[in-house]
Amino acid sequence: MPPNITTTLNTARARTYVFRLPLFTRVVIIAIVGFWIAGLQSVVDVREWGALIPDEMGITTLYRMNTFPFIHLNVLHAVMNIFALTPLMERFEGEYGTLNCLALFFGPLTTIPALLYVGVEKFVFGGNVAVMGASMWVFLLLAVEAIKTYKVNPRFVIGTYSIPTWTTPIGLLFAMAVLVPSSSFLGHAAGLVVGYGAGLGYVKFLAPPEKILRWIEGKLNLLGRLPHYVSIDQKTYGRFGVLPSANGASAASPGVSLGLVGSTQRLASALALRRDPRILKIPPYLSLLCILVGAVWLFLLPLNEYSRRTYISENALLPGQVHTYFGGSDQNVFRAYKKEVNELVGKGNVEINDKLESIVKALGLKTARQNFTYSAAGRTFAGENLYAILQAPRGDATEAIVLVAAWENVRHEVNRNGVPLVLTLARYFKRWSLWSKDIIILLSPDSIAGPQAWVDAYHDAHDSSKVASLPIKSGALQGAIAIDYVQEQRFKSVHIVYDGVNGQLPNLDLINSVVNIAGGQMGMGVALQEMWHHNDKYPDRLRTMLRGMLKQGLGLASGPHSSFIPYHVDAVTLQPFGEGWQDEMAMGRVVEGTFRSLNNLLEHLHQSFFFYLLMHRERFVSIGTYLPSAMLVAANFTIMAIFLWMKSGQPDAPAESTDKTPTPTVERDLFLPLAVVTLSGSLSAIPLYIFNHVPESALTPLFLLFLIINTLLPIAISLLSTHLFPSSPPTLQQYHLIKSFSLLLLGMFLSSLATLNFSLAMLIGMLSAPLSFVGPSSSLVSRIAGFALLNFTSPPAVLLASAAVWGLNVGDVLREAAVAWHVTGTYSAVVVWCVWWPAWLAGCVCVLGRTEDKGGKVKEA
Amino acid sequence: MNGGKVTVGRTAALYAGAAVLRLAIFTLLPDLPDLLTGRVEVSTPVTSFKRLQEGLFLYNHNVSPYDGGVYHQAPLFLPLFSLLPNALSYPIFTYLLYIAIDLLSAGALWKTADSGEAGSSALFTSPRRQRRWNGFVIAAIFLFNPFTVATCLGRSTSVFTTCAILHAIAKAVSGAPFGAMVALAFASYLSMYPLLLLPPLLLLCYDRQRTERVKKPVISFAATHVPVVFGVLGLLFGMSYLITGSWEFLPSTYGVQLTLSDLTPNVGLWWYFFIEMFDSFRSFFLAVFWLHLSCYVGGLSVRIRRQPLVVLTLLLGIFAIFKPYPSISDTSLFLAMVPLYRHVFPLMRYSFVIAAVIMYASFLGPAFYYLWIYAGSGNANFFYAITLVWGLGQSLLVCDLMFAVLRDEWELERPEMAGKEIKQI
Repeated sequence: MPPNITTTLNTARARTYVFRLPLFTRVVIIAIVGFWIAGLQSVVDVREWGALIPDEMGITTLYRMNTFPFIHLNVLHAVMNIFALTPLMERFEGEYGTLNCLALFFGPLTTIPALLYVGVEKFVFGGNVAVMGASMWVFLLLAVEAIKTYKVNPRFVIGTYSIPTWTTPIGLLFAMAVLVPSSSFLGHAAGLVVGYGAGLGYVKFLAPPEKILRWIEGKLNLLGRLPHYVSIDQKTYGRFGVLPSANGASAASPGVSLGLVGSTQRLASALALRRDPRILKIPPYLSLLCILVGAVWLFLLPLNEYSRRTYISENALLPGQVHTYFGGSDQNVFRAYKKEVNELVGKGNVEINDKLESIVKALGLKTARQNFTYSAAGRTFAGENLYAILQAPRGDATEAIVLVAAWENVRHEVNRNGVPLVLTLARYFKRWSLWSKDIIILLSPDSIAGPQAWVDAYHDAHDSSKVASLPIKSGALQGAIAIDYVQEQRFKSVHIVYDGVNGQLPNLDLINSVVNIAGGQMGMGVALQEMWHHNDKYPDRLRTMLRGMLKQGLGLASGPHSSFIPYHVDAVTLQPFGEGWQDEMAMGRVVEGTFRSLNNLLEHLHQSFFFYLLMHRERFVSIGTYLPSAMLVAANFTIMAIFLWMKSGQPDAPAESTDKTPTPTVERDLFLPLAVVTLSGSLSAIPLYIFNHVPESALTPLFLLFLIINTLLPIAISLLSTHLFPSSPPTLQQYHLIKSFSLLLLGMFLSSLATLNFSLAMLIGMLSAPLSFVGPSSSLVSRIAGFALLNFTSPPAVLLASAAVWGLNVGDVLREAAVAWHVTGTYSAVVVWCVWWPAWLAGCVCVLGRTEDKGGKVKEA
Repeated sequence: MNGGKVTVGRTAALYAGAAVLRLAIFTLLPDLPDLLTGRVEVSTPVTSFKRLQEGLFLYNHNVSPYDGGVYHQAPLFLPLFSLLPNALSYPIFTYLLYIAIDLLSAGALWKTADSGEAGSSALFTSPRRQRRWNGFVIAAIFLFNPFTVATCLGRSTSVFTTCAILHAIAKAVSGAPFGAMVALAFASYLSMYPLLLLPPLLLLCYDRQRTERVKKPVISFAATHVPVVFGVLGLLFGMSYLITGSWEFLPSTYGVQLTLSDLTPNVGLWWYFFIEMFDSFRSFFLAVFWLHLSCYVGGLSVRIRRQPLVVLTLLLGIFAIFKPYPSISDTSLFLAMVPLYRHVFPLMRYSFVIAAVIMYASFLGPAFYYLWIYAGSGNANFFYAITLVWGLGQSLLVCDLMFAVLRDEWELERPEMAGKEIKQI
């Protein structure tokens, strides 16, 4: 075996290697590059001129035998061959001298394989495949090297089999033939054969006599004139000419072993790169860069270059292609229904349902009711849903679309126009014979709990102690449209609300269809995210996008449609707004057009995007474009975790090692770090449970109490860990490990979350970004500063601050969160309390760690 | 963490703690076991508790359990589970059975750990063997491993195989080759793939024979013990035949594993590949995949002949990656064996990367499966990509452990190289 030599890499070594390349090797490299550059122009076809083409061989074209190794197909081919050839050629030249190399490579070592190739290709196979490139030389030199290795080290052992070392280039030959389809097997094989011959010494007779070469060298004083020239006479002059102090004996070292040592060192240096102390300085900056790039990325998205125009992907939808007939006498029907509905305002849920049921029954639809009772934050949300099924004249009840009108919208205003409009539409739809999907009319008492109970029960996913089962059902739901039409006067535009529970979104095709029908066919405006005026410029786009992200991140239900989306039923709520000249019939026609499109669907909406950020009604970015920003933010935590892990493995006192050998990693003490991380993780169940289960009145006082405890808790844990083990207080290594584990978990959760709810992951990632950069310190000031910084970005502080910014009451915010948790199953609270908060707690414990810079041990203050 | 003397009290406390944890989850979160039973990461077509229920129902109604093509497990499970009260009305008995099996497995692991075979086998004694964990710690790591707990809660029948394999190993290290062979036969009967463990297990038995016995050559040792395995297997097949009344169970249980006829997704690498495959290539690639799975046995047994327990551990890791229907249960078995090699942990190079990859995969896997199956916004490639990462994490662990063990052996030969960095060239 060749000796195992331990070296560290250094770039200086690689540089000297390049600077000391011998002359002929340089010339070859320059020639290859030169021919490649020459091949860039199109006047003269260099490849046609210089390649080795069997049929072109004649007495005048013999030059091809020498030019073909310099000419390459493309830049990749050239670069690969240069990389393969350089070390081999360098060794060969170092051993035999520049002059010898020149003679051999412009003579026998090129022409013999070329003749061999042409002979076999032309006369045996009858083909005419042109070859070019230096890979023939590579194989030739490899074969020479293999024979040389074989003489020193005849076989290597795999398991119980010993394999002769000279066979390795053959393996490579076959590997190349398989992996690189355009490579010439025959050309390589020709090189290999000649190489083996050369290695075994059968080609020696072709080499120019040494005496003559020496004479030339001496006469021309090549050694003195040419830089990097390697002499023929190694015995006298060594590899790189005469060394000042070298006498004949010490300079004489066999080329073989020299070469081997060199190559081993090069290989080792690449591996030793990861132990280089300089590498360890990079991660914090890399981490910061990740966050910055992630944030900047987000702000680039609204630009035209990064966002795309929306388009209808599902061809079956054909939005706006049908004539809509709703109107005319339906106006009178609408007014009649509206009068009936107006009389019901202020009455009880059951009474309203009795009346509405009689109306719907009169239309000839099958009706049913469903009771539900949710309790959250000390309140009870009970009610009764009324729904009716219009059986499709042309369908088989395997698919259905839903039309929803809640009696009250999310702001608790009575849906005065929406309910009569839905009733009118039901009557109108009943008269058409073109429906191929059942239409379900759902009239729920409120906008969140009612639809949620109904959808849960429709999919048999309900808790039957709270929500009653549905007595009648139809087929799989294909889509849902909710109408929230409170405004009494004529409207100008339609506002599309599309955020689902937990940040899930409906298929973009549905939104595009509505935009197309309302905006294109009906000529009314369309707005998103409460942007009542949108000029499609950068600030408005950014605002729309950020509002969408905030809503998505909170994960709350934003309308009756929200509950449908988790069941993979694409749904939106339509809200008319503004003062204009559109009347109820126009709104009805928008719904009619959308339903006709949904009716066309042959399969579930699946073509377009489910993950997108809308910034204008006709502009969006898809997941591929925006996800990297959240992933970069999550990656910053992982990078820091890996960095801290590596750092914790280094010995406490970094002794100035002069020999640059990597210090062995020290044993890590994992118990305390794992205990702290587990403790902070399990403590997180407490706030999660408390804030979801106490009555409304206790929420605000409890929150304030929690705010105080939250500040004191890290201090308590820090003191406890120091005083519990007074003999061995936590070391710097343990603090590094605590931070490493907690950041690893945070990064892991956030990157998983980014695939489910991008905005929430991004939000939490940005808010917990300081955790990456604050750590234990020896100075009291920096400890206090770090702790203060963390306290300003703690989950409860952020909650308090954002409530203040939006002018909300903290108690109301917490109540909404608790209601969302119990009714719609919003998991944002889990993310805040069980992902963010434990990471924050562990980060605080680290910041409070008292350490000395050098010693690594905690000093008793 | 070498711990002091393990007292009876500590043992009882460990077992009681593990049992109470499982019982508490069973009773406090009654929906969780059923949720886990339905998860593809826990239940595969050949180990699922739901499918067992189906087979049991058919069996109790005098219909062949293999009718309908849902049940693919060994026939002897049926009389065992029919003895228990119905799992739906009295689930506690099923829970207790599964908890008992886990504790039995832990007991076998404990014995294996305390034998010290991992650090010093008949032919090799590691210079680092002092740094080891005792049986208590190793049993605790196994019992409180989340993967083990999830498997127990999901009531996957692979726990029986795990138990049989661990007992086979425990018997082998305690010098009871006959018992080891019988246990291996049971494991093979339940899941088939453990039969591949026979060569290293034989070597382990041979090395750990009681010294008072005259050492026979390996060949004659094998000749006397291999028939035991096949004898017991034959006996079990005969009993199965008597119970089900036909040989139908052979194609329905082992045939499914061999031909991968059920393509339900799982954490392994086979299903996606065979979904994509044209039918004409199917049999060829089935042969290739099985050949690949079994080719490790010979190589590892020869190369690491001096430490047969290492071979068993590595093979369990390889099976957890490459077998046709792997689940987290197989990973938990592998992870149960790895801590036996505490003494070579300092030689491992990628422990942090491995831990991070396995953790990432175990969180991203369910998320991507959700996106594919429930949210409908992802597709099968999402989940398959993450199973590739999962496989990568485990294969890194296998490779790194193998490196550490070989390095440990090598440093005994070349003491001057101990602690130095080496390069493969």
